[in-house]
Amino acid sequence: MRAGFILHILGALIFFLGSMMIFPFLFALYFGEGDARFLITSSLITISSGLTLFFGFKNTGEEEISHKEGFLIVGLGWICAGAFGTLPYIFSGTFNSFVDAYFEAMSGFTTTGATVLLSIEDIPHGILFWRSLTHWLGGMGIILLSIAILPLLGVGGMQLYKAEVPGPVYDKIKPRVAEIAKTLWGVYVLLTAIEVLLLLLGGMNLFDSLCHAFGTMATGGFSTKETSIGHFNSIYFDTVITVFMLIAGTNFALHYQFLQGNFKSFWKNSEFRFFISLTFFAMLLVTINLKINYFETLAQSFRYASFQVASIITTTGYTTADFGKWPCFSQIMLLLLMFIGGSAGSTGGGMKCLRILLILKHGYRELYRHIHPRAILPVKLEGQLVPPEVMGSILGFFLLYILIFIAATLVMGILGMDLISAFSSVAASLGNIGPGLGTVGPVYNYEHIPFAGKWLLIFCMLLGRLEIYTIIILLIPEFWKK
Amino acid sequence: MKIIIIGGGEIGLYLARRLSQENEDIVVIEKNENKVKQILENYDVQVLHGNGSSLNTLRKAGIEHAEMVIAVTDSDEVNMIVSLIAGTQAKIPLKIARIRNTEYSKTSEILGKKYLNINLAINPESEAIDNVIKLLEIPGASDVINFADGKVQMIGVRINNKSNIIGKKLLDFKDGDFKGKFLIAAISRGSRIIIPRGSDTFFPGDFFFAITEPNQIPNVFKFVGTEGETTKRVMILGGGNFALNLARKLEEKGINTKIIEEDKKRCIQLAEMLDKVIVLQGKGTDKDLLKEEGIKDMSLFIAASEDEEKNVLVSLLAKRLGAKRVMALTNDLTYHQLISTIGIDVVISPTFAAVNSILRYIRRGKVISVATFQEDAAEAIEVVALETSDLVSKPLKDIKFPKGAIIGAVVRNGNTIIPTGNTVILPGDRVIIVAIRSAIPKVEKRLMVKLEYF
Repeated sequence: MRAGFILHILGALIFFLGSMMIFPFLFALYFGEGDARFLITSSLITISSGLTLFFGFKNTGEEEISHKEGFLIVGLGWICAGAFGTLPYIFSGTFNSFVDAYFEAMSGFTTTGATVLLSIEDIPHGILFWRSLTHWLGGMGIILLSIAILPLLGVGGMQLYKAEVPGPVYDKIKPRVAEIAKTLWGVYVLLTAIEVLLLLLGGMNLFDSLCHAFGTMATGGFSTKETSIGHFNSIYFDTVITVFMLIAGTNFALHYQFLQGNFKSFWKNSEFRFFISLTFFAMLLVTINLKINYFETLAQSFRYASFQVASIITTTGYTTADFGKWPCFSQIMLLLLMFIGGSAGSTGGGMKCLRILLILKHGYRELYRHIHPRAILPVKLEGQLVPPEVMGSILGFFLLYILIFIAATLVMGILGMDLISAFSSVAASLGNIGPGLGTVGPVYNYEHIPFAGKWLLIFCMLLGRLEIYTIIILLIPEFWKK
Repeated sequence: MKIIIIGGGEIGLYLARRLSQENEDIVVIEKNENKVKQILENYDVQVLHGNGSSLNTLRKAGIEHAEMVIAVTDSDEVNMIVSLIAGTQAKIPLKIARIRNTEYSKTSEILGKKYLNINLAINPESEAIDNVIKLLEIPGASDVINFADGKVQMIGVRINNKSNIIGKKLLDFKDGDFKGKFLIAAISRGSRIIIPRGSDTFFPGDFFFAITEPNQIPNVFKFVGTEGETTKRVMILGGGNFALNLARKLEEKGINTKIIEEDKKRCIQLAEMLDKVIVLQGKGTDKDLLKEEGIKDMSLFIAASEDEEKNVLVSLLAKRLGAKRVMALTNDLTYHQLISTIGIDVVISPTFAAVNSILRYIRRGKVISVATFQEDAAEAIEVVALETSDLVSKPLKDIKFPKGAIIGAVVRNGNTIIPTGNTVILPGDRVIIVAIRSAIPKVEKRLMVKLEYF
């Protein structure tokens, strides 16, 4: 591994991140709440650090980024992004401690949306915009964006792409990775713009529209309001955001094909069918449960149930109601959905529908084998064989996910959290959802969690966003052997 | 007429023999030297040694003057090239090619008028599969031949030992038993085929061929006392392309299907390509496997592996283990007569199916369709009755009909008439005549239905 080369690339990433801080700076100037100078300072520091690294270390050798280097760049890239992302919070004194600032930044970049902010509406607009922007950048991937924009990463970018957008199977929608990155980001920008427009049409101001569109399309969940989307209490906004959460939870390659005129692409995709059927099924069950035990009318039950189910399964984490007070069944449903998550190739987190679907198929196959011991039944997806290595990798992922979940929950227990809160805080962080249940429920936040617990959850968010393998392998001694 | 046949395989030789018997000039091009010698010695045809796709060889065979080219080599590519050459080098009226790869036939453009311009692309496997599907639809039948776009069917039925028509003469049956409902056009006994008269008797093990409308078919089975069970479960031995394509068709029809294949890699491929079909890895001769997978509940067992002898044996084993109906795939026509006597219900032969289709295609003209059955011993011919024919305008009982031929059905204005002695044929009727091969010239002469083949 070439340390200099890696730092060189990281420099480019950091420079890029710094230049992104210009946008919140502009908002800060407009609103004039005194946060503009913090933002410009952060931006300048980030840009100059980036440039120092970029020019301080040379692109040694002609070789492309290797497999291992790819993992390291992406892993370190995200950790650095979190670190530099804290600067606006630190300079403006939004948080008292570094861990809180880092928690908020990482929760932003990983599109988790768990917050340690006590009173959101007192924070200046520039900082809030940065907070939402971290979602948007992290949603489709900072590194993917860099590949799209910086030509130097285009060569060998496949290693970076694989590490940042892991997914169980790759569908290369274009021959070149830089083209893929541009296409995906193009679709992402387009969909975000449409959502902003629809929110503006509904009467939301530009600032809120942008922040909420960022939060939705990235399946993040940071809101500019204390009570999240519930603040607006508008069926129109609920509907628009529900639809866009589901769009964001769908594979972006499908959106691209749709834009190319292939209108059947959605229904032909078995993961999408699984994702949508599961979502509607969960909406139905929660609606019934709420109608019987909680709300007066069916319409009301459906309104809140559909929004919340969409929000949780896509791992967005917006709320329109305090589901912490909902009947047990609804809470359990939501908790389970946290593990499933959105589609592969979407901005959603969790284990991803495709993996769950394939694991279910695999499970069925094992049962089937007991009936027909001599039958050959490979796991298939849309008529195509799923290679045993991919199936193994998926099962491995599932196992690691659950193991990490259990271990982290145990630690949260040791730190003194109650069962529901420990369980759901880890699930919500690992799945990049945001609000959990109990003391981390929708009307509470993560501020009260002990110091060590916050670091653990930060780690979980990062693991969840980069789909475990990318980060975990950096911790394995074998990785560092020459 | 000059016909060039490229490829001296099963289909090529069979066609060569048949067509030379009909006094056509045949040139066979074959690349295997030993085979060339063998053909020269046994067939009344000209044989050229060489590659069919070679322009020189084709010129030597006289492609410029040929009126028909039949490319039936093992290779689709060669067959396609031959058709291409024939199209560009000579004004050949008819081009027939064996194209096995279904990808080509799916996109009709390549084979169609604009490019290769193949008049008939024949896929032996698909033809055989179509036959199997036809047989599935009429459980209990050993043959199914369609006439008049399926309005009339001829089905072959085996008379089993328990049937109560055994020992009875055709004369013994009363009018209501089958007259007007269906007509017994032929009886096959061993290697002999009989066009029955009143004095003929049914024996166990006979097959009889009944001509009828599709909705009368249950009456045929009622008459013979065998009841065909609807096909619900099928087991196929062997995982070749025949098995794969057949399984696909069965899958579409919603029939429970199992495939047994020895090679594990092929099993995985099959499982990938098929959705609901259960793919089992194992040997067809593995009795335990067959039992475990419920052979006794199978409506149909089809042995379609590459080993033709094994197909015969395994289908017999399957029958013993309780499969209701068994079929064996074998291309070797010499086995056919033997096989039906030992208890295999149907023999599937892609070669025979292909030959049949090619012959039917070649002979269309005044003859609407021709089908050979019982391995070529008899033919069923569909013709339009001409005004000048002896057939028309008087009751059938007054017509002196040649021995070995019978009128099976008459189709008038789309209605099917199963003829009796009093039926009168009118000019313009479609008439289906069943005749043994030796009687065909007489039929031609006496009835003035000129069987112009080309």
